[in-house]
Amino acid sequence: MKTVRVLSIATSLAAAAAFTTAAQAQEVYKIGVSAGLTGYAAAVDRAWRDGLEVAVEYVNSKGGIMGRKVQLIVEDNKSEPQEAVTVYRKMIGSDKVDIFISGCVSAGNFAAAPFVTRAQIPMMLCSILPPQPDQVKWAFSFLAPPRFEVETRYAYLKDKTQIRKVGVLHDPSPYANLQKDIAVKSAANFGIEVPVVEQYKTDDADFSPQLSKMNAAGAKAVMKIGLGGSTLTVAKNIKQLGQDTLLLGSVDDLAVFKPAGETLGPQFLFVAAPAQIYDALPDGALKQEIGRFLPLWRAKQGDRDPFWAGKAWDALMVTIAAIERAKSFEGPKVRDAVETISAFQGTGGVYNFSPTVHQGITENPFFLATMVGGKVQVK
Amino acid sequence: MFDLAYFSQTLVNGLSVGCIYGLIGIGFCVIYNASGIVNFAQGAFVMLGGMITYVLLTTLHLPMIVAGSIAIIVVALLGVLIERIVVRPLWDRNATMFVMILATLAVQIVIERTTLILVGDQPKSIPVFTDLPPIRIGGVSIGYQTLWIIGVSLVLIALLALFFQKTLVGRAMRACSINREAAALQGIPVSRMLALSFALSAALGAIAGILLTPTQFTAFNVGTPFAISGFIAAIVGGFGRPFGAFLGGIALGLAQALAVFGLGSGLKNVAALSVLLIFLFLRPSGILGAAK
Repeated sequence: MKTVRVLSIATSLAAAAAFTTAAQAQEVYKIGVSAGLTGYAAAVDRAWRDGLEVAVEYVNSKGGIMGRKVQLIVEDNKSEPQEAVTVYRKMIGSDKVDIFISGCVSAGNFAAAPFVTRAQIPMMLCSILPPQPDQVKWAFSFLAPPRFEVETRYAYLKDKTQIRKVGVLHDPSPYANLQKDIAVKSAANFGIEVPVVEQYKTDDADFSPQLSKMNAAGAKAVMKIGLGGSTLTVAKNIKQLGQDTLLLGSVDDLAVFKPAGETLGPQFLFVAAPAQIYDALPDGALKQEIGRFLPLWRAKQGDRDPFWAGKAWDALMVTIAAIERAKSFEGPKVRDAVETISAFQGTGGVYNFSPTVHQGITENPFFLATMVGGKVQVK
Repeated sequence: MFDLAYFSQTLVNGLSVGCIYGLIGIGFCVIYNASGIVNFAQGAFVMLGGMITYVLLTTLHLPMIVAGSIAIIVVALLGVLIERIVVRPLWDRNATMFVMILATLAVQIVIERTTLILVGDQPKSIPVFTDLPPIRIGGVSIGYQTLWIIGVSLVLIALLALFFQKTLVGRAMRACSINREAAALQGIPVSRMLALSFALSAALGAIAGILLTPTQFTAFNVGTPFAISGFIAAIVGGFGRPFGAFLGGIALGLAQALAVFGLGSGLKNVAALSVLLIFLFLRPSGILGAAK
């Protein structure tokens, strides 16, 4: 009898626990994050992850989204597409995430896009959009179109310098390849010639051969397309070779720009995002939105670069706006609602999504900048 | 039209990076010679050399020579520690080569992750040793750091040759590599030689890291690519031959630079490794022949 009673109590407790767990699960909105926490994209994707954590903490402190707390599930894709497929499958199958707000490893997001699309889960991406139209339907990019980065650099060369020959040095990622193609095709529009295009591996130890080739071809500027420490290596190699070449870097982390600027001084210029030049921004909606995020970021991360983290903040804020507009957490309804969000002020610029535009930033938000005394200065 | 200055610059570029590959390759050979072990944590020693120097320069503001020397000693001691707690127990149990490789790969990952936790993921660098404009000969630029790399590499090669041929300890290490049991019967402390080989190899890796970091950057994850290049250098040179590894490194560096010259950097590694593979088909024991 005693045994029966004990069993009965245990069964009741187990049932109660199961009920509680189910109720809690219902109240949580799960965000899956596939990010390159290690590998070539680590600097950017770790910032993306950290920015999301700040944003989620902020949202939860305000009561969550329509009463539901937000839960982040972060998986490291090691900046490799194969790993990305594994972690996306895990987050769909085991974690049952409601949405993805994933990092900047384009190839990884592309590789996972077919089955994420089949699962009807929206993807808010730091990377460019996947190539297939049926996959684009479920993906939204918070990255500025690649032509903006190229045009910012070409416009500077055309308007402020006499340089008309540029070497293009790019990594093999889809985003970098896209920029490279744009750089080659659009050069003539700025009266610029591209005599040499060279690809590199993100873990290459030395770029002297490529730089020597560009120099021999008469290129007086190098447009570097790609993230990470390789920009610093290029800067050091230019200095070692004693070239007077300008190095024009892509959008990246200030942790890369600072040492590259110290190495090359005014020869190093880079595409800067609004959050990286906050103090120099005029008053307005953009500065206001960055000012909303920046204190929260600095409280946790000090003077770490806020740009990529701010993009992640934007991705979550757009997601929340879509959920509130849809009055639903269901993937298809949230997806439909994102397509209706326009004139949305984020830290990275204004987002204008529509059924035909899934890359939200439609106006060039970038500046060309250099490092002076460890500080970013707009050119 | 053939550009002689550009071609010469290509050779200098290849030589410079090749010396680094060679130094890392020598590290592989030193341990292999003393123990028959292929240590895949060699890349971690390279990373740590640059990273510890960076930390000492930026936190304690030590002079470069002091920071570099401390880094070399710390990494050498770490090499001994790894030998004591990871390699020795396996060695004593006659673990196979594959187990040893796996163990040293695991060590590489542990060191990477620990570095990531301790110093973060951002790229870091240290200043060049001689901050002067490069020397120009004709149309060729030679940076002072390149001269440091080539010069220190040659000095180390000479010292290693003297060490292995003229000193009792060096000869004892060679004896261990030829026949461990016979060396032990002759009274050579084989296990101590193993520890010493790890210290020497780690120190060589650290020196390579300190030499190359001013020309690029260091981060927690830069070790593996260097380990691969150093391993290729050691094989091409004739595995177990320190000077061969150095030549192998130069061959790899030159092949990569010439591939960029002739074909473009997209095919750099494909072309360079294809050439080296063809070479190994013709001479499988490498440039100097593998050590016995």
